[in-house]
Amino acid sequence: MKVDRRSFLSFVIGGAAGTALSPLPWKLMDDSSIWSQMWPWTPVPPDGEVVYEDSTCSLCPGGCGISVRKVDNRAVKIEGKPGHPVNDGRICILGLSGLQFLYGPTRIKSPMKRIGDRGEGKWQKITWHEADAILTEKLSDIRNKGEAHTVAAIAGSDSGTVPALLQRFMTAYGSPNFIRTPSFRDADELAVKSLFGETGRTGYDVENADYVLSFGSGIADGWGSPVRMFQAASLWKEKNVTVVQVEPRLSNSAAKATHWVPINPGTEADLALGIAAVMVDRNMLDTGAVSGLRGWKSDLLDNYATQKVSQTTGVAAERIIALAKGFAGADHPLALCGRGKGSTAISLRETAAVYILNALTGNINEEGGMWALPETDYIQWPRATTDQLASAGLSQPRIDGAGSGRYIEARYLPTRLAESVNGGGPYPMQVLLVAGANPCHDLPDTKGVKAALSRIPFIVSFSSFNDETAAMADLLLPDHVYLERYADIPVEAGLTRQVIGLSKPVVSPQFNTRHLGETLITVARAMGGDIADAFPWDNYETCLEETLAEKWDTLMEAGVWVQDDVDPVADTLRLARQTTAPAIQAEGDVNSFPLLLVPYDSIQLTSGYIGEAPFMIKAVADTVIKGKDGFVEVNPQTASAAGLGEGDMAILTTPVGEARLRVHLFEGIQPGVLAMARGLGHTAYDGYLADKGVNVNELIGPVEDPSSGHDAAWGIRAMLAKA
Amino acid sequence: MKHEQKHNTPMKYGMAIDLDKCTGCGTCMTACMAENNIPFKEDESNKLLSITWMRIFKLNNGKAFPDTDICYLPRPCQHCEGHGGHSPCVSVCPATATDYSRETGIVSQIYTRCFGCRYCMGACPYHARYFNWWDPVWPDGMEKYLSPNVSPRMRGVVEKCSFCFHRYQLAKNQVYLEGEQGVTEAAYQTACTQACPAGAIVFGDLNNPEHQVHQIVKPDPKNGNKSNNPRAFRLLERLGTNTKVYYLSSREWVRRAGDNYLPHEKTGQIAKPHH
Amino acid sequence: MSTLNKKAMDGDGKKTSGGKDISAGGFIILFFIIGFAASMVLGWVIFPKLLYSQKQQPFSFNHALHVEEVEDGCESCHYFREDGSFSGIPKLAQCTDCHEEPMGETEDEAIFVEQYVAKEQEVPWLSYSRQPDCVFFSHSAHVIGAEMECVACHGHIGESESSRAYEYNRITGYSRDIWGKNIAGLKKNSWDRMKMDDCAQCHKEAGIIHTSSVQTERDACFVCHK
Repeated sequence: MKVDRRSFLSFVIGGAAGTALSPLPWKLMDDSSIWSQMWPWTPVPPDGEVVYEDSTCSLCPGGCGISVRKVDNRAVKIEGKPGHPVNDGRICILGLSGLQFLYGPTRIKSPMKRIGDRGEGKWQKITWHEADAILTEKLSDIRNKGEAHTVAAIAGSDSGTVPALLQRFMTAYGSPNFIRTPSFRDADELAVKSLFGETGRTGYDVENADYVLSFGSGIADGWGSPVRMFQAASLWKEKNVTVVQVEPRLSNSAAKATHWVPINPGTEADLALGIAAVMVDRNMLDTGAVSGLRGWKSDLLDNYATQKVSQTTGVAAERIIALAKGFAGADHPLALCGRGKGSTAISLRETAAVYILNALTGNINEEGGMWALPETDYIQWPRATTDQLASAGLSQPRIDGAGSGRYIEARYLPTRLAESVNGGGPYPMQVLLVAGANPCHDLPDTKGVKAALSRIPFIVSFSSFNDETAAMADLLLPDHVYLERYADIPVEAGLTRQVIGLSKPVVSPQFNTRHLGETLITVARAMGGDIADAFPWDNYETCLEETLAEKWDTLMEAGVWVQDDVDPVADTLRLARQTTAPAIQAEGDVNSFPLLLVPYDSIQLTSGYIGEAPFMIKAVADTVIKGKDGFVEVNPQTASAAGLGEGDMAILTTPVGEARLRVHLFEGIQPGVLAMARGLGHTAYDGYLADKGVNVNELIGPVEDPSSGHDAAWGIRAMLAKA
Repeated sequence: MKHEQKHNTPMKYGMAIDLDKCTGCGTCMTACMAENNIPFKEDESNKLLSITWMRIFKLNNGKAFPDTDICYLPRPCQHCEGHGGHSPCVSVCPATATDYSRETGIVSQIYTRCFGCRYCMGACPYHARYFNWWDPVWPDGMEKYLSPNVSPRMRGVVEKCSFCFHRYQLAKNQVYLEGEQGVTEAAYQTACTQACPAGAIVFGDLNNPEHQVHQIVKPDPKNGNKSNNPRAFRLLERLGTNTKVYYLSSREWVRRAGDNYLPHEKTGQIAKPHH
Repeated sequence: MSTLNKKAMDGDGKKTSGGKDISAGGFIILFFIIGFAASMVLGWVIFPKLLYSQKQQPFSFNHALHVEEVEDGCESCHYFREDGSFSGIPKLAQCTDCHEEPMGETEDEAIFVEQYVAKEQEVPWLSYSRQPDCVFFSHSAHVIGAEMECVACHGHIGESESSRAYEYNRITGYSRDIWGKNIAGLKKNSWDRMKMDDCAQCHKEAGIIHTSSVQTERDACFVCHK
């Protein structure tokens, strides 16, 4: 039997025929196409029961209620909570991105100790036990040497139980240096004190106003409680409310306003006082809410004559008069201030000028007006007893100078910290605790801040994320992310009601992090003595429940506690106390720096502690970030004078620093003024955020408000040249 | 067995986006990204490659300072109907991966059928379709937030806004359970509509007089569904794409920006189609 | 015969032997048959064995026993949630109502209680009818809307006393139940196969013809896909 070619061929043909009649080729084709339709490495999210868990967002001071959709106990989407008193079912871009903060590579996953040099990024994982021991030992050593005052704490807030615990710790420990990061609250608290003579804050009944005069407030850019303001802006559109936005740049808020009033940067106070002068001159007043008008009138009319104001501000005289008529003639006129999101203070002069405008129409504590309200005071712990070491420390001057001498009006001056520490201060700082803040990125004059922090031998960060300050720290004690913890979220943000939201853990902690409240109680107890006595609670949850007392049940059930009718702290504004401080000038001489640089806020970029999520960076236009480059907005006239076109690389120089930026031509900004987005230029975090754009704080330094010492810089002088 | 389709009038899901209210905040963009398992890369500044089913465009009136004016325009997929369901993209798909549903008016995209020829991307006048040049990467645990209701895409397929039809599917589940007639206006809303803090987006059935979107838009079925609302316009209306997203603006220059008008042409004047 | 001889005589000098021709022809047929048979065996018998791999369930579950114990049949453990979604394979919480401690004496239950209940670990059941991710299947539309019985698609699993092995396709990763046990895709009962064609067949038989789709004049794609 010879097996020759024919046999072989017939074997093959037989095989082919058989194969064709078998399912093999057809099934293989089908299976291959199925395989290619959905490759095995593409994730298939597991399905499961859908549950909605409510909580409160604390990524900004707005305090919106959120509803988190969970599938099979996995948090999958954050949505606004329908019916919530602050946001009624809506949400903002930052709140939506919350899950990208919860999961993801920027999380600090366990307590860490620095090995290697500062900034090298070499960390060693340690246990909480070890971490507590390191911190307790360090703090005890310093305290026992009578140097308790050389410990400082920077926190993003001073209201709510967690910041209160930190403050209590500092008091019992013996340091006066609890510092709150800068914001419009600084200016607001001071203005209420100066003008109304009481401790409190302002609230705005924006929903019922019928003429809104906003001096740079970012109504559509994140001012106040952002979602509430967005809804108010839409309500104004429906009711045809006149909204006037006074701002050097055509921001999104200005674009939404009925009228945009371009103004020379930094002259908002002059315009406000100019309008007041017109109102006083023509007697378009309701004097029910002011006292001391007679004494104050002549100064006002002398210094803020319409022509003079027009020259200073660049706003036509007829327009100033028209604004005064419109504002004074409305039933519920409302003036707002606090630039952009209100993440920086403004001068007392500017704040007072705007509050006075409201008062001159009698719209104080009225429908559609400005309210003078008490601060939240539900935290009623007994005073922490201070032993001798603590008393000695507390009697030392603050490192930032607040509360004494020329800074007697200020409570906190974080923007003076760099100057003080770099200059040796009243004493050298030994420890810095940072919670809910990122001073290495968010404070002006970044270089100075980093230099100051590098002089502090021991830095502890409680941040949940690998931010710039954590990168400079020596000990990391990561807090839970807001979705993983219980906390009380008192909301101020310009609301006229008292609102306390409850943050609830929506998922169990993803990593080996610990609630900051828990950390403080643990460390306080470990320190023993009077410090431990000041922290009688077993754990944070007990502290929270006890502190909220009768509000706790409401909070647990509804997720929010609201008090609608709040008694104002005062109803008469004292004009006689109005300061006559000079206007805040921009740093730099006009010859070397012929242009003005102003920062602007965008709701798509955060200007506070949390860095932007990948979703947010994705939403940002390519005229704000392109690749790694940031942009500076320039009027086409100014750009062509410098020989720059759209997208060209330029060098922006200010007295504080220098940066490379691309040029974006924008007609919505006056010639001679440049604008840069706040919130970019991160150097830490991860590849989705790091090294994109330029941090405007590297180019602008603080300018002290002579009335308080608060940083009231509204911009800086600058120079633009081709790269 | 029930045949609920036989007796109901066909639905036409559409949107009314009020550009007077839109602030350009980008919440709708992110709501869509979070809802639909949209991937993200480290560098998203190349907007031709960036996958944004909902995308906000910034318009300006072309005037110099201080008369400058800007307007933001959110652009989801327009779910073009064309004539009787012949959307530009549906007409060209060789794989039947995209289809027009006469019952709901939704243009669907089914990823398993798509083999990535991108013909539909060329056909779409609104650049509303996006291609997955790369496999998605969810770094370090982020795949935990993926929703099981939307299928994550692999590289090589085209994707676009779906008017969140997965929410329609889930709403239908409940309709069957409770024995209701159909999906109510409140039961089926897109993620962008739900999130928008300015309340600028309204979504619903354009054919249903009780739905808010119908009351705002008042489409005229005898005139190619042009809106009877003087503030309303559609993008590139003169192409005859018969889109379902109506934009509202009280500003003439914004309405004029909705199409490529020659200087002498009147805004909103749609020439009659030739066929 | 004569033709063959003719052939033998035709080729002058060629030593083609008629005998060999007969055998060659036979060999051709023989090898054809061998090839044919081999490929048929390969395609029909060996291929399915290689294509499908097997896994065992974490432990054997006795449906028949449990169905006796409950009141609502399948729905006692496989129920509709309030939002209309289907609960699918029960979670641990449902079983621990009764099985906090072992209720019987089987080894399977022992495994369950020790490895899963005690450790609060969900049992990693392998789902026989898991459809690919592109499929959106609405149980409420079929069970409540169309009033179908569970067995129509899932077979008589409720009467089983042990869990059969989970067979899955090595190339696609899906359960064998989708294509069906028969490698040719032939089926006898409605529950033998769960491909899209089977869904379509059932819809056709029930007279549910929708013409919403412009491309196909059938139902819209997104009714069943996502």
